[in-house]
Amino acid sequence: MFEYAPAIALLPFVSFLVALSVGNYMPKKGAFAGIVAMGGSLLLSVWAFLRVSGGEVYNAPDLYTWVAAEEITLQFGILIDPLSAMMLIIVSLVSLLVHVFSLGYMNDEGETGLPRYYAELGLFSFSMLAFVYASNLLMAFMFFELVGLCSYLLIGFWFRTESAASAAKKAFLVTRFGDYFFLIGVVGIIATFGTAQFAGEGSFPVLAEHALVGGEGSIDTFLGLGEQAWVTVLGLLVLGGVIGKSAQFPLHTWLPDAMEGPTTVSALIHAATMVAAGVYLVARMFGFYALSPTALGIIAFVGGFTALFAATMGVVKDDIKRVLAYSTISQYGYMMLGLGAGGFVAGSFHLMNHAFFKALLFLGSGSVIILMHHEQDMWKMGGLKDKAPVTYYTFLAGSLALAGIIPFSGFWSKDEILFEALHYGLGNQPLLLGAYAMGLIAVFFTGFYTFRMVFLTFHGEPRSDDARDPHPVGWSVKIPLVVLGLLATFIGFVNMVPVAELLNADIEFLHQWLDGPEETITSVHHYEELLHNENAAHYVASDIGPYLPGALSLALALAGAGLAHKLYNVPDPEPHTEKLGSIRTLLKHNYYQDEYQVWLAEGVTQPIARAANKFDQTVVDGAVNGISSVSLGSGQRVKRIQTGIVTNYAALLTLGLVALLVVVGLYGGWFV
Amino acid sequence: MALFELPEWAALAPTFVLAATSLALLVIDSIDPDSTNRPMLAGTATTGALLALAVTGWYLVAGVGDPNGRGIVSLFGTAQVDGTVFGGQLVVDQMSLLFTFIFASVTAMVTVASYDYLRGHSYQAEYYSLVMLAATGMSLMASAASLATVFVSFELLSLSSYALVAFLKKNRGSVEAGLKYFLIGALSSAVFVYGISLVYAVTGSLQLAAVAQAAAGTELVGVLGLGVILVLGGIAFKTAVVPFHFWAPEAYEGAPAPISAFLSSASKAAGFVVAFRVFTLAFPFETFLDLGVDWVLAVQILAVVTMTLGNFAAATQTEVKRMLAYSSVGHAGYALIGLAAITGSNSEIVLGAGMMHLVVYGFMNTGAFLFVALVEYWDVGRTFEDYNGLATRAPVASLAMTVFMFSLAGLPPFGGFASKYILFMGAVNAGFWWLAAVGAVNSALSLYYYSRVVKALWFEDPSDDVGKVGIANQPVGLYAAILFAAVATVALLPAFGPVSDTAVSAASSLLP
Repeated sequence: MFEYAPAIALLPFVSFLVALSVGNYMPKKGAFAGIVAMGGSLLLSVWAFLRVSGGEVYNAPDLYTWVAAEEITLQFGILIDPLSAMMLIIVSLVSLLVHVFSLGYMNDEGETGLPRYYAELGLFSFSMLAFVYASNLLMAFMFFELVGLCSYLLIGFWFRTESAASAAKKAFLVTRFGDYFFLIGVVGIIATFGTAQFAGEGSFPVLAEHALVGGEGSIDTFLGLGEQAWVTVLGLLVLGGVIGKSAQFPLHTWLPDAMEGPTTVSALIHAATMVAAGVYLVARMFGFYALSPTALGIIAFVGGFTALFAATMGVVKDDIKRVLAYSTISQYGYMMLGLGAGGFVAGSFHLMNHAFFKALLFLGSGSVIILMHHEQDMWKMGGLKDKAPVTYYTFLAGSLALAGIIPFSGFWSKDEILFEALHYGLGNQPLLLGAYAMGLIAVFFTGFYTFRMVFLTFHGEPRSDDARDPHPVGWSVKIPLVVLGLLATFIGFVNMVPVAELLNADIEFLHQWLDGPEETITSVHHYEELLHNENAAHYVASDIGPYLPGALSLALALAGAGLAHKLYNVPDPEPHTEKLGSIRTLLKHNYYQDEYQVWLAEGVTQPIARAANKFDQTVVDGAVNGISSVSLGSGQRVKRIQTGIVTNYAALLTLGLVALLVVVGLYGGWFV
Repeated sequence: MALFELPEWAALAPTFVLAATSLALLVIDSIDPDSTNRPMLAGTATTGALLALAVTGWYLVAGVGDPNGRGIVSLFGTAQVDGTVFGGQLVVDQMSLLFTFIFASVTAMVTVASYDYLRGHSYQAEYYSLVMLAATGMSLMASAASLATVFVSFELLSLSSYALVAFLKKNRGSVEAGLKYFLIGALSSAVFVYGISLVYAVTGSLQLAAVAQAAAGTELVGVLGLGVILVLGGIAFKTAVVPFHFWAPEAYEGAPAPISAFLSSASKAAGFVVAFRVFTLAFPFETFLDLGVDWVLAVQILAVVTMTLGNFAAATQTEVKRMLAYSSVGHAGYALIGLAAITGSNSEIVLGAGMMHLVVYGFMNTGAFLFVALVEYWDVGRTFEDYNGLATRAPVASLAMTVFMFSLAGLPPFGGFASKYILFMGAVNAGFWWLAAVGAVNSALSLYYYSRVVKALWFEDPSDDVGKVGIANQPVGLYAAILFAAVATVALLPAFGPVSDTAVSAASSLLP
């Protein structure tokens, strides 16, 4: 009974319409419409989850056909398999909690424009949910773009401040840059396989697999590439969109600026929607990526690099939301590393854990911002621990999960990701070892910046009047924090690989869940076969145990946290990072990423654009204007034929007829 | 299946209904010669048109004239050539019904709109009677299966039209336009009937299929060719194809605006239905190309010249009504592609596409002229500048006009997009990519002048004249007709399936 599945996405869409049209007349300006809709979506998602665990995978690729041509049909459909069922719950739950939290963060703080806010949240949730269970790549692309549009609208919610408007534009443009590649990839996949369907017989990963692994059939390649090389190219083109959305190096620059949006929006963007969409897409078409060791290697390397790169920048940030922003970039780097290292379960596991603990941390920071009367500089905080215990303990749970400290959720998934990378790195993929090394070092930085943030915010003496006299927070803030705090603490237990190994027990529940009730082409079992197949990715595992790498990463995380404890967990901490000197300047300026991208835009692109513009203005417009003046001019002449004198008309008519007769007669040979 | 079988002549019922309505109006006129009872007169005419429309629709649905349904109905005698028996003087098939459907719809819209437009004019009964008589002529043209009936129905339409154009007797422009129309029309009729006489001289027959049979193997190719081209010329007059179009801009401009709508939509379609039937049945291109009478070439030349000249002239007009007049010349060029690209392998699609375009055109062009009628009714002015800011006073009508303009330009999501698309695609698939290219370039140019209207309506600041338009003064009849046309123009895109099925089926029954 999956007939109700479309309602999962459509409910938030209804709330979007309701909030937009009559939000102003509703109590709480449309918040309740959103809460009811998201609650409904959550219930339906849970029910879909139960159906899937009962052994039904719902794959209806042809719910609505909007283009039916002879060779290609474009359709909207729904695919609910274990992966999308899991993601549906994550998205609807986080969105529901964000809606509830917004009551405290937006309504109680007396914001204006709330109907617009709730309408955009509804549209955002709708787009993401529809993206999650999209049955084909083109539909996914369309909702991917809608997600981008919604984040543009929400980041720019306070559009009257210049920085918010600029941040929104930046987010939109940078992600759009990646999406160009994605679009070309979509077109390429449809042109190559004639379908963009994700799962089922005749879907593009299956067709590619048949050609590459099974040797049945062949695929039309372009540019003279071999089949596997062409699959790699297509995969990398789609990856362009992923890198933009999931804020991977070098398209990560939009994400820290996106902090200009309301904190609730940041929570939604970072945990469950916008940024998650990129990584989710890689997981969604993992069967396609698993055919190409090059694509996987690039994914892993970009991920590992981004993880380290962003973590180092997080070390010197003073704004609590900025620290979290860099942590997001870094954590998505881990997910990419996990997926690229062949760890489909590990990457998905971290995606889920991160959704909960990052939503928690952002909502926690939102709570801190309420407490601090909208101050975000951590150096003006301190000592909030005793004044806001709920916020403190939930934030602490989230931080422990983020830093990857046992037994909080982040530890299990991060450990599994690093283990997968090492595991295959030592096997036959030395490139993965480099990615692993970067990921491992990033663990230390993660521990450090996370606890630097915790200690500066909550520990020590209050360093400002606001911190001495915090604004109280209400139940609508506390309930989401508690729910997410519990999840961040315990959700990791669903897939404790080292413990399973140790006890030799069958407790890798997430793994079993993603494996699905039966073997399909999106189950883990199948992905692993592909991964090891020598015609596909050809990853070979080494026989290394999970304990030593796990202990190593835990030790590094603890070392980072310990260093933060030593430096900042004092009554009156000093800004130690200033001792870093020029390195700090470099980090403060984010490795001059923005500067070089601005230079690229202003120094390189703009002159080219100017030249193109010049060409357009002179040559193209000249030609067009020339043509139009010719046509208007000849139009004038045509007008002059219409003299208004009827004898002229009769003469012209007769002459025209005679001319026609002569032409046809000569052509037909009547006169010979 | 049916409860009782209708006699064969009942297939002509739409024509009879139109003719009877015309006579009824004449009776009313003779009883009360100075009647200004507008509701009764317009109501009678509209009832007649709608009844004809309903009967046509019913016949189309019931499969009358469909070779696979109730069969093509041939009426009034038979013709014989070398022992082969051909049909009679009139025929009722899907094409005749489809075009009667256009004529009846346009007539209904025009009579509804005239209810307001004729306020204060005398001789209203004659006006409606002439409109119905012209409509009768058109529906006979759609059914005419012999050159004789073609000519007679042609003249029935023409003579009514001349009178209608000159209907505003006290308006110099109207009278002048009527006279010019009549003079050019007389010349063209002479050309037409001379052409018919030459064809008869060679083939000895007037029945269309019999002409084709007799023409095969004739040695008098030159005479026959001359006749064919002259017949083409006569039809080109009715469809306002260059160089027989000179009457059109002046007649459309001078005539009462509802009559302009009537002539530019329905009368043009009537010319085309004759062209489609005569040139497929009497002059089939396979036979005639072998003979050396390449009328396809002539049609191609006319199509290109007409599209180009019509659109170029339209681009430079300063008056909206005159712009529409030239644009309707341009559209005749598009519809000619249906014949010009007929030699390809997909001739039934191309010919059907020409018919589809005329169906859509019947609504969008009528609507556009009726909007002009509405503006004339308000007495705002005739130029683009005079239309400035009308949307602030009359948003609904302006929205409808926007729909007409974009649909005429061939933009989605309106009916004009679908018909133009199928027409150009059909031409490309038939191998006449250059015809489609000329059409596409001209369509692009047409977007320029159509969007000028939209720009004036919505984006320019209203002038003082526009400011005076009374919101209270919203003529019900004109509005109803315009909105009906707008709804039809939009609805024809989703409902394009049945239209195209009927058109293609009608076209394939004409082709061997």
